Amino acid sequence: MDTKLTFKLNGRSVSINTDPLRRLLDVLREDFKLTGVKEGCSEGECGACSVLLNGRMVTSCIIPVGAVDGQEVMTIEGVSETEGGKLIVEAFADGGAVQCGFCIPGMVIAAYCLLKSNPEPTEDEIRLGISGNICRCTGYDLIVESIKLAAKRGEKIWKK
Amino acid sequence: MEEVKTYIPSTLKEALEIKSKVDCIALAGGSDLMVAHKRTLGLTPKFDKSVMIIRNLKELRNIYINERGECCIGSCCTSAEIAESPLCPWHLRQAASRMGAVGLRNSATIGGNIANASPKGDTPGPLYLLDARVKLSSVDGEREVPVSDFIIKFRTIDLRSDELITEIIVPLSEDDFDYIFWHKVGTRKANAISKITLSQAIKFNKDDTVGDYRVSATATGAKTNRSRDVESILIGKKITPELIEDVIKAFDAVISPRAMPEFRREATRRMIRRFLTESSKHPKDKVIDTYDGYHVTGQPEPRRK
Ligand SMILES: Cc1cc2nc3c(=O)[nH]c(=O)nc-3n(C[C@H](O)[C@H](O)[C@H](O)COP(=O)(O)OP(=O)(O)OC[C@H]3O[C@@H](n4cnc5c(N)ncnc54)[C@H](O)[C@@H]3O)c2cc1C
Ligand code: FES
Ligand code: FES
Repeated sequence: MDTKLTFKLNGRSVSINTDPLRRLLDVLREDFKLTGVKEGCSEGECGACSVLLNGRMVTSCIIPVGAVDGQEVMTIEGVSETEGGKLIVEAFADGGAVQCGFCIPGMVIAAYCLLKSNPEPTEDEIRLGISGNICRCTGYDLIVESIKLAAKRGEKIWKK
Repeated sequence: MEEVKTYIPSTLKEALEIKSKVDCIALAGGSDLMVAHKRTLGLTPKFDKSVMIIRNLKELRNIYINERGECCIGSCCTSAEIAESPLCPWHLRQAASRMGAVGLRNSATIGGNIANASPKGDTPGPLYLLDARVKLSSVDGEREVPVSDFIIKFRTIDLRSDELITEIIVPLSEDDFDYIFWHKVGTRKANAISKITLSQAIKFNKDDTVGDYRVSATATGAKTNRSRDVESILIGKKITPELIEDVIKAFDAVISPRAMPEFRREATRRMIRRFLTESSKHPKDKVIDTYDGYHVTGQPEPRRK
């Protein structure tokens, strides 16, 4: 049963007519071609499908699109356009954080949320912040180092 | 078969009216339901009943202290909101702050965690400990039921098809106790399903006898375990090593862990022994830690008066 849903997506207002029980993940990838949102586990465990819902990180594979009606969604495509997002992407590149890249959109979103609420995280806090994001390539160390780099380089951005 | 529909009410009143007419599944965070009904990659989850999405109902997202001093938590408050709220009792904030990882905590709601009635659910332990009640609402009115009665057994709750859980009311907090303890044993520091979680709290009388002692355990049986009989062993008495062993033995008889039973039993015994032994020495810190001094940074602190 299709329903008209309206929400904010990466800063602009969008409307679609669709089954409200479709996963937000599928709507973002298929209807809006935002393929930076990845599907890993399909059950909330791996973080590859992470997006921001009203500024908070959620896993879009376990959210029916009907639940974002009237809300604000931001994907990696939106986050990487922000000042902080750009800085994290650069730090990940400079720090050698990326191997196959599949987990990276989710990792960037997790890092973005972490630094916004905690501009000077300890190593433990960084590891906690990305504990819902699984990476099968890197062993995490270079991702953690890159987040430290992003924290240092972005002092002014994160603290405002 | 009736057509499967999805309702997205914009007020609680509207939601309760729908509930009174249609037998539908309430979907809050969706973190249990969407996984339980998932199909394969790229496919829409399949529900055999109509669904009502209640995640964004503002009326269900407040946290406040009522006129009786009880903490009232809207059923759609997320684990993250509870973990962050200084109004919420410490044990509950601990439990909420260690559910899943960041993303999950922004979806998982307290109402969903209770209604799911899984013995591994993290919030019932503290809620049993602190005598919490659920408020159930329908177009006909409201009723309140202790959480420990509301969860009847594994995956079975005392909820009529026309009702929604609207609020969780927690009358007690760490302020009512001298020493508190909460420890989740998982397979890793973060993002772990509970192997066992123990919540404890104690208050001493002026003459050093025990005024109040409580212990509840998660993942040690078909539902969260708490027993007034066991706790009453200590009431009115001074703590002695013998008495501690009596409590441990009695609680051991209450729990019925299925997988890895000996590990779960031994860990439970040790945590009870640790808490009672340490608190009887009246240390300065209100929070009694475990032996390993295990501490995850960023955990909620107890209120300081
Ligand atoms: C990756 C992952 C990790 C997890 N880790 C943990 C963990 O560490 N600890 C833990 O305890 N759980 C964990 N869970 C389970 C789950 O997230 C929790 O049980 C959560 O609290 C469920 O809330 P929800 O709002 O998402 O529930 P939903 O899926 O929306 O609903 C669950 C059930 O509750 C009912 N319901 C929801 N709200 C109401 C209401 N207001 N009135 C009446 N009925 C209602 C629904 O109809 C349904 O039967 C995890 C789940 C996932 C996917
Ligand atoms: S695909 Fe959503 S968390 Fe793994
Ligand atoms: S870089 Fe390959 S999964 Fe993380």
